[in-house]
This record gives sequence, C-alpha cells and structure tokens, in this order.
Amino acid sequence: MNRDQMIEELSKIVGKENVLFSETDLLLYGYDASLFKAKPDCIVLPNSTEEVSQIVKFAHREKIPIVARGSGTNLSGGTIPARGGIVIHFSRMNRVLEIDIKNQRAVVEPGVFTLTLKNQLARYGYVYQPDPASERVSTFGGNFGENSGGPHCLKYGVTTNHVLGAEIVLPDGEIIWVGGKALDHPGYDLTGLLVGSEGTLGIATKLVLRIVPKPEAVKTMLAIYNSLEDAGRTVSAIIAEGIVPATLEMLDRLTIKAVEESIHAGFPLDAEAVLLIEIDGLKDGMERLAERIIEICKENRAREVKAARTEEERAQLWAGRKGAFGAVARLRPNYLVCDGTVPRTKLPEVLTRVMEVGKKYNLPIANVFHAGDGNLHPLILFDERNEEELKKVHLAGSEILKICAEAGGTISGEHGIGTEKKKEMFFVFTPKDISAMRKVKRAFDPEDLFNPGKVLPEVQT
Amino acid sequence: MIRTEKLISKMKEIVGEAHLIRDSDRLKTLRIDGKRPKVLVYPGDTEEVSRIVAYAFDHTLAIIPMGNGTKIEVGNPPEKVDILLSTQRLNRITDCDCDNLTLTAESGITLKEVQKRLAQEGRGYFIPLDPPFTEKATLGGIIATNSSGPRRYMYGTARDLVIGMKAVFPNGDIVVSGGKTVKNVSGYDLSKLLIGSYGTLGVICEMTFKLLPIPEKEVTVLIPFIRLEDGDAFVQEIIDSQLLPSSIDTLNRPAMERLKPPVSLTEETRYLVAIGLDGVMEGIEREISELRERGKKYQSLDPLILYSQEHQSFWSALRDFSETLKRQRILFLSFKSNFLISKGGEVMKRYEKIMSQTGIESALIWRSGNGILYSYLFPGRSLKSKMESMIELIRQLTSEAIKNEGNMMVESAPTILKKKISVWGEMRPEYQVMRRLKEEIDPRGIFSPGRFIGGI
Ligand SMILES: Cc1cc2nc3c(=O)[nH]c(=O)nc-3n(C[C@H](O)[C@H](O)[C@H](O)COP(=O)(O)OP(=O)(O)OC[C@H]3O[C@@H](n4cnc5c(N)ncnc54)[C@H](O)[C@@H]3O)c2cc1C
Repeated sequence: MNRDQMIEELSKIVGKENVLFSETDLLLYGYDASLFKAKPDCIVLPNSTEEVSQIVKFAHREKIPIVARGSGTNLSGGTIPARGGIVIHFSRMNRVLEIDIKNQRAVVEPGVFTLTLKNQLARYGYVYQPDPASERVSTFGGNFGENSGGPHCLKYGVTTNHVLGAEIVLPDGEIIWVGGKALDHPGYDLTGLLVGSEGTLGIATKLVLRIVPKPEAVKTMLAIYNSLEDAGRTVSAIIAEGIVPATLEMLDRLTIKAVEESIHAGFPLDAEAVLLIEIDGLKDGMERLAERIIEICKENRAREVKAARTEEERAQLWAGRKGAFGAVARLRPNYLVCDGTVPRTKLPEVLTRVMEVGKKYNLPIANVFHAGDGNLHPLILFDERNEEELKKVHLAGSEILKICAEAGGTISGEHGIGTEKKKEMFFVFTPKDISAMRKVKRAFDPEDLFNPGKVLPEVQT
Repeated sequence: MIRTEKLISKMKEIVGEAHLIRDSDRLKTLRIDGKRPKVLVYPGDTEEVSRIVAYAFDHTLAIIPMGNGTKIEVGNPPEKVDILLSTQRLNRITDCDCDNLTLTAESGITLKEVQKRLAQEGRGYFIPLDPPFTEKATLGGIIATNSSGPRRYMYGTARDLVIGMKAVFPNGDIVVSGGKTVKNVSGYDLSKLLIGSYGTLGVICEMTFKLLPIPEKEVTVLIPFIRLEDGDAFVQEIIDSQLLPSSIDTLNRPAMERLKPPVSLTEETRYLVAIGLDGVMEGIEREISELRERGKKYQSLDPLILYSQEHQSFWSALRDFSETLKRQRILFLSFKSNFLISKGGEVMKRYEKIMSQTGIESALIWRSGNGILYSYLFPGRSLKSKMESMIELIRQLTSEAIKNEGNMMVESAPTILKKKISVWGEMRPEYQVMRRLKEEIDPRGIFSPGRFIGGI
C-alpha cells in the first residue's frame, strides 16, 4: 500500500490532524535516546483503545509494522522503526483513569508520565514505588515496555512487581485484559510475560498498578570516598550484611563534576565517588540501622558520611542523582550508556575492569548507577562526528557487557535489548534459549508486525 | 504393550534400573484422578530430564512432572499419563551466594531443607516464601503451582522472588532465562511464564531466588472479634496505615477450631485476625501497642500475643491446614477465590451465608491484605447424593468472586466432581493467548495434557 493511501485510511480512524508525516515529524520519531535512527512511514496519535485496535487491525490487514512509543527515552533503540511502518504515539492517551485507594490500585493510560501519577498520589499519602531517573518524562507504556527500574527498586522491586494487569491490543487488533486489580488470576501470568517485552508482543492501552501507603519515615545519607573501589566494596558489604536499603546509588568523579557544574547538588568535587543511601520504613529502629550503615561505610574507608537534615537537603541530593545523565551529556556531544548488571559481590572487581576498558579505548567513562542492584551504567563519552570514536565506542560498550556476562551477570538490567544489544544476547543465552523466546513471540505475533527486529537475534535452526 | 516395553527400556537406559518404578501395584498408588502412569522415573540431573522429555516428544507420550506430590491432585483429570517424572533426585543447592542475597537450587529439594541450610549461613537467611506443606513441598512444586502463604503480604509471591530459571521445554531443549542478578531485562521473562504453569509447559529443573536475612524479631498478634464487620473494618484500617505487618489473615470460627495445635480463645470469639510482625525490636513493640489500640476502636476482644515457638507453630498450623485435614482423613473440598482487596469482608460474609444455606460446615481463611480467600467444605460421607448441590454451590461462590473482579479455582475435590465443573473458574478472553502459547511451546500436547485452564 502506498503511503498516501495509508495516511488516508489512518485519518479515517483518528482524524487528519492526528496523523503526522512531515519530513520533520519522520525525523523526530525516527530516533530515541539510543544511538540509532530510522524512518517511520507515518505517526498516529490515537485517543482511545478502540482507535488503537482499529489502527492495529488496519496494519494487520496490510502487513504494516507498528512501533508503540511513549516518550522515546529508552536507551536501547526500542522505539526505532527499524522496518518503517506506523509509530503509535501515546501522547493523547495520558489520563489517570482511577486512583483506587481502597484497593491500592491505580489505573492509567500508557501516555501518563510516571511522575504525574506520583504527584497525584502524594495527596492521598500513597506512592507508586518504581522511580526511573527519567520519571518526569518517561511514560507508563514505556516503563511497561522496558520493565524499568530506578533507585528505589532495590527494596521494592522493578516495574514488573508493580504492574498487576493491563488492557492489551494484540497484533491482530483484538483487545484483551490480562491480570487485573485482584491478584492470582488462574492461568499463565501473561502480565509478567508482557512487562519488559518492548512492544513486541502486545500494546498496553490501560495499566493496573500497585500503589501503597508512603513509608512512615525516610533517611537519606551521602557517603564520600577517595576511591571508586572502596565505594564498590561498601555496596557489597552492606548487602552482605543483609541490609536492603531503599536505595544505594553510586556516582563517580566525572559524574560528580558534571552534576556540580549544572545542578549543584552539594557533592564534593574532590571525591572519587559518592554513595547515595536511603532507608525507609517504620521510624522505630531507623537510627540504629543508619548508624550500622555509617559504620560499614567507615569500615570501607568512607571519608565522610553526611545525613540530609531537611526535606530540601534530601531533594537536592536526589536532584543531583536524577539529573546526572543530563549533566554528563553536557561534557561531550554524545554518550553511550551500558546497562550491564552483575551479582553485588562482583561490583568492585567489575568496576575496575570497566575503567580499564575506558583506558584501553581512550574514551572517558562516567559512572552513575544503581549500585545496590549491581546494575552498572558506565556512560562512555564520545563524539559521533568522529568516525573512529564511533567505532570504538561500540566496541568498548560490547566489551563491558562481556565483562558483566563473564562475572555471572547479564547484559541489561533495565534498559532493554532493543536493536542495540541483540548481538550481545549470545553472551548470556544459547540458541535454544532464543528459540524458546521466539515461540513466545510467535504465539502473540506470528506475522512479526509489532516492533519487528527487536530483542531476539536471528538463530539458525 | 510393545510400546510400553520400549518406553521402559529406554527410560532404564537414561536413568538406570534403580531409578524407575514400573511395578503396577506401586503405580496404582500413584494414580492421578484414576489414571495410572506406565512408569515413574527419577532423573538424576537436568541432562537426563532433557533426554526423557525428548523421547516423550518423539513418541508423543504424555508426561506429568511431580515433586513430592503434595499438590498433584490440583487441576482437571489428565487426559493421559504415560510418564510420571519425579524431581526428587534433583535435590542439590547449586549456588548459595548469601553475600549477594541469592540462592540457586534444583527443583526437587524441599523448601524446608533449603531454609535450614540458609539459617545456618552467616547471620542467617531465608527465602521469603511460606507456602503450605511445610515439611514436604519442593521448590519446583511450589513454583510450578505458584504456591504462597500468609507472609506474601510483605514479601510477595514467586513472581517477585524468582529471578532465574532453568527448565526443560517439551522438545527436550534445556532453556535458561534470567540469572542471579536482581535486575534483568535481557530477553523475555520466561520464568514468569513457567511460574504457576502447573507442569503444562515443561519441567522446571533449577531456580534462583532472592534471599533476605532472617528478621531480628518475629511476633504474632491475634485479635479476636465477635462481628465480621468489625474485623473487616479493622483490617482495612491496618492495610491503609503505615504499619508494616508481614501477614494479615482472618479466620472464621470453624477454621480456628480445626487448627492443630489449637489457639486458646474465648467462647464468644467468632473471627480471628492474625497479624504477623517481622522486623526490628523497636518497631515491633510499637506495632503491637498500636494494633491493640486500633483494635479497641472496632470492639475487638483481648488480643493474644504469640512469641517464638508459639508464633512459629501458629503459622505452620495455618499454612498446613489442608495437610492436617488430609492426615486426619477428613473428606473436604477446598477452593481459592481472589477478588478486590477491599471486598474481602463482604465476600467472606456472602460465602458464609451461601454455605450455611447448604447446611455444610465451612472453614474460611481470608488472606486479608491480598484479597484471597481459602474455603474448606466438609460435606461428610455422602458426597454423591450432594453432587448437584455442590455444583450449584461452586457456581454461586464463583460468581460472587467474579462480581468482585476475581475468580475461583477448585483446589481440592473428588475426581467425579472435578469432571463436572470448571476447576479453574470462569474463562476470560486472555485464555486464547494462553492456548496459543501452549500450542507453540508444546505443539504435541505432551505435558500434563488436559489438566490446566480450558483443558490446556
Ligand atoms: C536521562 C535518562 C535517565 C533514565 N533513567 C532510567 C532509570 O533510572 N531506570 C530505567 O529503567 N530506565 C531509565 N531510562 C530509560 C527510559 O527512560 C526508560 O526505559 C523509560 O521507561 C522509557 O519510557 P518512554 O515513555 O520514553 O518509552 P519509549 O522509549 O517510548 O518506549 C520504550 C519501549 O516501550 C515500548 N512501549 C511504549 N509504549 C508502549 C505501550 N503502550 N505498550 C507496549 N509497549 C510500549 C516501546 O515500543 C519501546 O520498546 C533513562 C533514560 C534517560 C534518557
């Protein structure tokens, strides 16, 4: 089908003004927060599940690929329209449909920003726990697609632990519900399978989320180090002690510098690393736990441990953490984030090896990551106009993932595989594992229309 | 017959003579809903499981995987069973990495044994799962049935605690997903698919769990009520508060009376709200006094506080409720209903009413923080004559749960009754996707055929 016809058909469903196809639009929707680019045929902005279903039915009939898109902040090429086709952008489906305190659930459309819901929940003294650093702009559809994590996921689990059901449009356009507000529906856990499937199995048009009363007390601390390894050792030691703080985040020297230049979070410029540690829960016993954590930091040669004394101080520390990627981005034209994850015991050793990779390729690396989860985020800085550097950066990224895999870890903790890490899937999976996953794909999407070319590498069978 | 001989000689070749049972009298005792397997095999490692399954695949033989058989009766009667595959010899802990707060073990080891080992490591750890059949439940059986217990209120269920899995798929492939990192989005989350799949998609051979350190202190607060409405209102207040109990269960009087060992309660107690507290000393003390105060607001009777041994045995009595009944050879039916959290009190009330109309005694255990209700019915000897009224009862209870956005499954019932009802409750449209998954993964339908939802 030619593009004009396609646009005409889609206009019938969503209205002319909600189909975009100008050159600028195609460019804008052709990239995301990864390093990849491609061009869609057009973009549609539906306003209801019914419209999504009709768009999908049309695409299914005409065998046109479909890519679901929230804010496009994913870091793995998850929203790159690798084979062209239609991008469904959820900016208009951005309503918080229900905040059901009595049943501790919220129901949202996929285009709602993560933070928007949280702000609304605050009024009731409730929280939705997962908190990707990008929460101001990341959407629930995207969180669902990537199974996103965030600092508080150390204690509370990632997106999949908080999505209990969804309304799903299947690749043939049919609408079904998986899971729901109640727990333990009989049958396979399709919700669990769909979260993190990167838009390749089904498109979520409504999401049922778990919400809980906000913890009674919280304490935020900043531990300052003269060596990166010592900070890494502290993380391993805290976990080994059996303490699971709400968060345990690490920022290294280069990140601190970038953050201080742009955000002024109050991180000391001469430190090699800082740990941002937060504990929460009942107020009773919290001081004792905090003291034990401070002791462990000191045992691992922390130079100083400061506690936030006011809500403003706490907010300032978190602004530093949440704005870190953006701050680092100012240092050089581009960066590549690796998302390798390792057992927490391996953190100090893996950190050292990561920095060696930077030296080997002569590329600066900034580290800012979810240390308590063992989830590294080395940001490799480069300039994409320099072809040599561009080549090197991919080699360095892949090498870091290899190191993580060899340490008993994995190639992605929260950012997804997308187009970016398909090759590296073989670092952790055999062709048999991949074929098993492919069966899942076939059960949902036999014609490979939803986000084709993502997640699963080709295997010879 | 020739086929059976060939099957047995092949099985011998794979697992060895000593690790298989073919004696028909022995196999008779292993009937599942009346169907007798042709052979019971005990593979010694994942490789052997893979070879057994590959053979079954090639010859389209029906396989049912089994741990210690504590929940093998759950599900529709199987269409067919050729090979019963026991995981008992897959009983190793393959990686105990307490410093990373993870443990990897094979499926045939009991949770009890794993917990014992973990308690002895360093400062003492545990897998935060407390499913029924404390003594005998194997890890594989627990995960394959998504079995859980009262502490799920704080710690969640298998979907929150299993981070990696190795399974043998129906074509014999050994398939790995996840791993030992607490975060992992590499590829599809196949573990989620296998959790609660009741042996219909393959054999779970190895799993990795998240661990936690054993809490500093554990206590139980038992709060008795005369009226269910009061107990319910109290529970809803606790759920909405910032207190952090590990479990909240509500029992009706018949359930209390059948607990072994029993709890000593006053005559007037009709409902008992049992709250488990895990955590640090300081917190627990304050929580006890707050629960006491908040209870008074809702006309609670005097609370009972259970410590150490008493605390432990209360929760195991509760968890092992159905096992105790079985041991006493009491005939019972049991159902699991799910629904909106806030509707638990109402559902419990309706259930009591519906059941009392049939004149059958019923014990109810309501997992109050999670919107789950376990019902146990004691129809007495003459079930056959009551068949029609049972079917009607199940229909009514199911529709009550559905009204509150849930469903009901029959966990335990005689085969003759199971054949006449929908064991897994009402089917929802998502079933069509489940069916397609089953067909892609198990195209020949060899795994536990017919047992799961909609005859999957
Ligand atoms: C500065 C910065 C910080 C970040 N910090 C974190 C962090 O702390 N933790 C973390 O996990 N990630 C982080 N990310 C990555 C990213 O923000 C998350 O992956 C986020 O969830 C993506 O949301 P989005 O709305 O931008 O989704 P998109 O990028 O638009 O989409 C992501 C994926 O979801 C799919 N998708 C979108 N909508 C739907 C739908 N309705 N149904 C089905 N699939 C759908 C898409 O097809 C795609 O595969 C960060 C990114 C940046 C740029």
